[in-house]
Amino acid sequence: MTRPARGKILAIKWGMNPNSSSLGIDVTFLLAGATALAIATPVIGALLRWRKPRPTPAPDAG
Amino acid sequence: MLADLARRAVDLAAGALEAVRAARRHPPRRVRLERFGAIVQLVAPRALVFVDRAYARTLLGAAATWPDPETALGDVPLSAPLEAHLQITNKCAAGCVGCYTGASAEGAPNELDLAGWCRALDALADAGVFHVALGGGESAALPWLGDLVDHARRRGIVPNLTTSGLDGLPGLLAIADRFGQINVSLDGASPATYAAVRGFDGFARADAAVRALRARKRAVGINVVVTRHNFAELDAIFAYAAARRLSEVELLRFKPSGRGARAYADLRCSDAQHRAFLPTILAAAKKHAVRVKVDCSYTPMLAHHAPARALLAELAVYGCTGGDFLVGAKPDGRLTACSFAAPPPPDATGERPRVEALAAYWDRPDAFGAFRTWRAAAEPCASCTYLALCRGGCRVVAAHTAGSAAAPDPECPRVVDHGRAAAARPVVRLPLL
Repeated sequence: MTRPARGKILAIKWGMNPNSSSLGIDVTFLLAGATALAIATPVIGALLRWRKPRPTPAPDAG
Repeated sequence: MLADLARRAVDLAAGALEAVRAARRHPPRRVRLERFGAIVQLVAPRALVFVDRAYARTLLGAAATWPDPETALGDVPLSAPLEAHLQITNKCAAGCVGCYTGASAEGAPNELDLAGWCRALDALADAGVFHVALGGGESAALPWLGDLVDHARRRGIVPNLTTSGLDGLPGLLAIADRFGQINVSLDGASPATYAAVRGFDGFARADAAVRALRARKRAVGINVVVTRHNFAELDAIFAYAAARRLSEVELLRFKPSGRGARAYADLRCSDAQHRAFLPTILAAAKKHAVRVKVDCSYTPMLAHHAPARALLAELAVYGCTGGDFLVGAKPDGRLTACSFAAPPPPDATGERPRVEALAAYWDRPDAFGAFRTWRAAAEPCASCTYLALCRGGCRVVAAHTAGSAAAPDPECPRVVDHGRAAAARPVVRLPLL
């Protein structure tokens, strides 16, 4: 039996952008380079699997 | 040093707790399907995670189905913006010389009221938008800001805010916990530099706002418009952020928009400053242990240092994402590709697209004009290995300086070098027959 493909995390956009004039990009990781991101990505993956999203949250229409 | 690290760890943990508590009160949108797979929102740490279809299936199971064939991230525009930048008023009496919206004490004609912006939020929520960034003018001075923020939360959208800190602070302090992140605009680490950039000294009042907000909330940072007058002070700005225990410094490129168009020649950074930008900010971020964000228009200045493309892609570092990852809305509700851009031209009925009708406009083949035509970029962008990430740089700077929003960003170091090389090439004149 073949295992279903696990897929991959393509990108992580860190933080939230309060600036109302452009998309804020967190470049702090450029300090530590790919190694730090390689460590962080599995942690993010574990968090995603731990708290699996519900497909449609159906927010309150107010 | 150890005490500093411990303090940072405490701030990080407490910030995560604040985010989790806010998310429990009003759960934000968690996931949105995309052609490439899905975007999943994490609350702590705060992140939008882009995953491919196989990964999305492991998270969502049978609920994850796509009508169209899979594409790579960036091949086609997203199904909706990640965030919308809402200029909810153009009222502001500060009179900054470089104000990109040209804000005034009177505000703009036909500004939407609370009900109008709530309808806009409904449309954005229906489209699947994750975040809004509220700005102005001075949004903090609006008496109904708290009601608007509550409406955003109820609709699963996380509201964030930029304020000058010069007006509306008492009201803002009362509702600060309802925002995801609040940043105060602070364009210098001293009164003299603040005045050189803004045309008046508001440093003490902005600093007071930073301290008051930080006493209420951990997710507080500063937005700094980088100009030739404060570039040398970047290290001091990071030192300021560290001293105030702020969560981030967000650095913004000066744009020729609003009153900023007139002040552009005087305030824009020099080519040498653009080339030195990345090493300067990374050194300051490392020295002061402060998180640093840069605005999307700085991507050409990042690419100049040839960082690994895969790393930039994994960090979702993109250049102009107007009309794709983000949209803007003017105070009267007209939709724009980004806050600096003019609204798209009127359609056959004479109407310009409105934020309440985002979904109807989004999929039009000509939507957002030059903001979505970067794949057809001219040289030197066409042969640049960073084009898929950089997307030709800032369309607004290109429109102002080069006369066309579709032109390569004229301040990109590669574009500058290309122009110099072309100018230095000897002109060969053929003899006339």
